[in-house]
Amino acid sequence: MVAWVVIAFALVYTVFPVFWLFSNSLKSRLDMFAVPPLLIPHPTLYNYIQAFVERPFLIYMLNSLIVAVFTTILSLAIGTMAGYALARYDYGRAKRHVAFWILSTRMMPPIVSIVPLYIFFSVLHLLDSKMTLVIAYTGFNLPFVTWMMRSYFADIPRDLEESAQIDGDTALGAFLRIILPLARPGLAATAIFCLILSWNEFLFALILTETENANTLPIGIAGRITQYKTEWGEISASGFAACVPIVLFAFAVQRHLVRGLSFGAVKG
Amino acid sequence: MADVTLKNVWKRYGEFVAVRDLTLAVEEGEFLVLLGPSGCGKTTTMRLVAGLDYASAGDISIAGRRVNDILPKYRDVAMVFQSYALYPHMSVFQNIEYPLKVRGIPREERRLQVLEAARKVAIEDYLERLPRALSGGQRQRVALARALVRRPTVFLMDEPLSNLDAKLRVQMRAELKHLHHELKTTTIYVTHDQIEALTLASRVAVMNKGVIQQLASPRDIYNDPANLFVAGFIGSPGMNFLSGEVVSGQFEARDVRVPVPLSGERKNIVLGIRPEDLSVAADSAGGQIHGRVFSVELTGDSALLTVMVDETLVTVRVDKDFTAAVDAPVALAVVPGRSFLFDAASEQRLRA
Repeated sequence: MVAWVVIAFALVYTVFPVFWLFSNSLKSRLDMFAVPPLLIPHPTLYNYIQAFVERPFLIYMLNSLIVAVFTTILSLAIGTMAGYALARYDYGRAKRHVAFWILSTRMMPPIVSIVPLYIFFSVLHLLDSKMTLVIAYTGFNLPFVTWMMRSYFADIPRDLEESAQIDGDTALGAFLRIILPLARPGLAATAIFCLILSWNEFLFALILTETENANTLPIGIAGRITQYKTEWGEISASGFAACVPIVLFAFAVQRHLVRGLSFGAVKG
Repeated sequence: MADVTLKNVWKRYGEFVAVRDLTLAVEEGEFLVLLGPSGCGKTTTMRLVAGLDYASAGDISIAGRRVNDILPKYRDVAMVFQSYALYPHMSVFQNIEYPLKVRGIPREERRLQVLEAARKVAIEDYLERLPRALSGGQRQRVALARALVRRPTVFLMDEPLSNLDAKLRVQMRAELKHLHHELKTTTIYVTHDQIEALTLASRVAVMNKGVIQQLASPRDIYNDPANLFVAGFIGSPGMNFLSGEVVSGQFEARDVRVPVPLSGERKNIVLGIRPEDLSVAADSAGGQIHGRVFSVELTGDSALLTVMVDETLVTVRVDKDFTAAVDAPVALAVVPGRSFLFDAASEQRLRA
């Protein structure tokens, strides 16, 4: 009984805001402020048309998508190899320091680095470009990717690579053919994590981008809070639309999130 | 010609010496077992041969070629790991195929060789399964098939049976022996299980503290141990040891008088007698060792009588119908010529 109450409370806490967002996105401006609040709207697509046809939200979304996907690919490519090296190769006392140093770059708040980064990119004439965001996001994703993948690799028995080496494979071959496939659940979880982080990022995008050339969804949405009025309808519509790609991706990789692929490797 | 030779090989990890000045020649077609307690350097020795670790000093050769600086893949060895190290995301077929695949053997040839290896270890019905859908014994067979599919010069086996339950272990042991008889591939086999060592080996190398204590046939290891360590390590229940001295052809300790083939007088002597080389004497006069019954344990085909002699426990293998009251006095006789003498300080065997 108590369990049900707790579950119900947790559901209201997590699901209701999403429902409210969706509900609002389908309301006219009049319904949105109705008293008592209207849970089930008289549905209208007006807000979606406003956001995605009249205003450039489709472009923001595309920008977000491009930035997030490339950030994820780049972070995984570099972080996976770094994590593997940290998990497997022994290079003495330096190892601990390297691992800690990588993590320590996440210890300062991002806002500390934004001014130097701004100057840096401005000198390189890279402001207001999607590539700039990809570089910046990869920078702050890498420590997490490295540490997460490192722990996944550490869980994979070393015997497997040794066996692969005796069977005649190279170190790289063993990594690509044996270790990487086994780390798939880890890769999937890390990918979702990277994707969400870059998809939601606001601060860097606000400072480093200016126009539709590179503005991402969070910037676009925040832009609907204007000096004179707040476009709640457009905000709700674009906000709900922003959830969709991430949820779809999470569904797509859910299968790989199930761990236990490496069971059966160890003993009988 | 020897297939694998190690010459004055050392392996150090910082201060710790895992293998100390080890010299060993494994003959072609031989089944050599490295036997010893954990941490004795037997697995390290095998890993040095495999190329998974590098020797700190000394020479390692396989088939007459020095391999110290050669990668594992070029050493022409195959290894069965204690954990089997099957690739969990590959089917049984792909697992066995892997060593051939990474060596660029054509697909059709690979298929034939995989099927042949699978047939040898009787797993051809499971080729499409993933390792996790197999029992422990079947996984063991897959690991074996993957090792033998390439027909390497040397098989290395690192405690391959220790993850199996007792019954399966006995069965796989017999199959391993049969397989070796059939393939005649030089094999180095690491175990801490003396029964495995004695049943499988052509020769056993008993190791302790990074040093080979004795290298001999299983029979000689058991019947003619070189030192106290080997004598105590081999045999279950273990050999009985009594401390005392030799006085004019007789080993003497409190309540113990056993004639031995050692002349002169020597102190600090250890007398070793296996439990099956002792028997209960009919009367007190016929006994050479006197004590009191400590316990009698039935093991099935025989019983173990433990006798408290002075302050030492001595185990005797007796008939399964033997009975005796605890604390009753008992006299033991030694089968003539079946006792061993050791120097207590050097722990070396003393021979007549």
